[in-house]
Amino acid sequence: MNVRTRSLPLLYLLFAAITAVVLFPIAINVMTAFKTPGDLMSSSPLSLPKQWSFGNLKTAFEKGNMLVGFRNTGILVFVSVFLNTILGAMTAYVLNRFNFRLKKLVMGMFIVAMVVPFYTTEVARFQIIKGLGLYDSLGAPLLIYAGTDLLQIFIFLQFIEKISAQLDESAMIDGASYVGIFTRIIFPLLLPASATLGIIKAVDIMNDMYIPYLYMPSKSLHTLSTSLMTFVGQRASSFEQLSAAILIVLIPTLLLYLFLQRYVFSGITAGAVKE
Amino acid sequence: MSYSMQKRLVVVSFLFIPVALLLLFLLYPSLRLLQFSLTDWNGMSKSFHYVGFDNYIEAFSNPDVWKALSNNFLYFGIHAAFIPLEVMLAVFLNNKMRASRFFRSIVFMPYILNGVAVAYLFSFLYNPINGPINALLEAVGLESWIRNWLSDKSIVNYSLVVVSLWRFSGLHVVLFLAGLQSIPNDLYEAATIDGAGPLKKFVHITLPGISRVMEIVLFLNVRGALQVFDIPFLMTQGGPGLASTTFTVYTIQTAFKYNNYGLASSLAVILMLMIIVFSYLQGRLFKGKGESS
Repeated sequence: MNVRTRSLPLLYLLFAAITAVVLFPIAINVMTAFKTPGDLMSSSPLSLPKQWSFGNLKTAFEKGNMLVGFRNTGILVFVSVFLNTILGAMTAYVLNRFNFRLKKLVMGMFIVAMVVPFYTTEVARFQIIKGLGLYDSLGAPLLIYAGTDLLQIFIFLQFIEKISAQLDESAMIDGASYVGIFTRIIFPLLLPASATLGIIKAVDIMNDMYIPYLYMPSKSLHTLSTSLMTFVGQRASSFEQLSAAILIVLIPTLLLYLFLQRYVFSGITAGAVKE
Repeated sequence: MSYSMQKRLVVVSFLFIPVALLLLFLLYPSLRLLQFSLTDWNGMSKSFHYVGFDNYIEAFSNPDVWKALSNNFLYFGIHAAFIPLEVMLAVFLNNKMRASRFFRSIVFMPYILNGVAVAYLFSFLYNPINGPINALLEAVGLESWIRNWLSDKSIVNYSLVVVSLWRFSGLHVVLFLAGLQSIPNDLYEAATIDGAGPLKKFVHITLPGISRVMEIVLFLNVRGALQVFDIPFLMTQGGPGLASTTFTVYTIQTAFKYNNYGLASSLAVILMLMIIVFSYLQGRLFKGKGESS
């Protein structure tokens, strides 16, 4: 389908307007983060900083506990994505390559889990986390994030179906074990899918706030999201410092998006469109 | 070791951890919610009493719950109303216009940004005193539109829905775009040869071609709208009063702020049922339409 060339300028205008709507909040945020308090008071919030000052960023980074936030978010992202990828691939391998009793039950449980609500389930999960002695430790979010879900399994299954079973069979003739087939043939061939899924999972974890907020109240366990929440609680009126803290928290996923956009898009759309 | 023996070992050992995590952190808590919902538990004491369906009766007769739910429907309705526009934008982006990739990146960007940062960023934008949005209205001569965006009960929900639209519309556009790109081009060429106009092509090729994505977007919208949490929780705590509370915010506050775990659990169970019922109904409605056309 082709849009007639006559309407093209209108189209560009429409998308320019959308671009403005998307970028306006971010531009305001950047400008405010670099303003001095006096500058912010005396000038329009829409104006550029009179002089670009890095003081707010420094204050926000130090007083906002951002280093701890980066560290904990980093640990959560790397460990959870690693565990989640391996568990997801293992589940998909078994579900695709073997027939066994209870296979339908296992699939059914993952399907049921899809309708379990995100936040309200914490009312009961909270007690379980406490009972396991995981409250106020990195272990709580790690175990919650590591679990695999239906969408991830579906995407892995799509990829595994394309790996010919003849590869497995010839490896078996050479005497390979099932574990060997998984680690040396299946898993390496799933790496492109893993990268895509891993990026999406990483973004989800970096942006999650309620699980760290609920299960890791200690200051030394704050993530980027919860550090920002605490900082906002302390300095609700100092908008130039708040903007600086917001900017710091926006940067990681923004960078990831800039450099790994291809994977982000294929991860987002992988489950929605059949290859 | 024989392969049949190995098979048993691999199936059990590979599935053990994923299934254990699933049971422990998702399915078991859901059953516990069912149990708690029939009790008067306060979340701390060792014992509790079974009170039958009292919590459910209270949930349904509590006007605050209905108020919260009506706010959820506002998110659902406005997001649903934007779907045609999102499809249109995806069609435009699919037209290989120059800078199409650039616009796609821009449109999707809000979705990957940190939700906490975005919520606070908009709190600042909406600030009544010297806030950027009011300053912008003033700059373009629309002083009369200036409002207390987050403290005026009659508009606070709309202000919050705007944040939700800003964050999530791009996701829908990108999903629709992927759906469009999966439609083989020769369908359009064949239709052109048969003399079909743009509208006919849109109705008979494009819309059926994105029906799967449409189902996913509708499901995401039901699930998302029923569970709106972080935007009101961070920006208004559901206030002023209960003006901008949502079902999830109300449930969480009932549990963790007012220690009424019984009522909160019954609300959580009701939410789960709503997600199932609405997804099912929407799927039926959508399937029905698809077959009749």
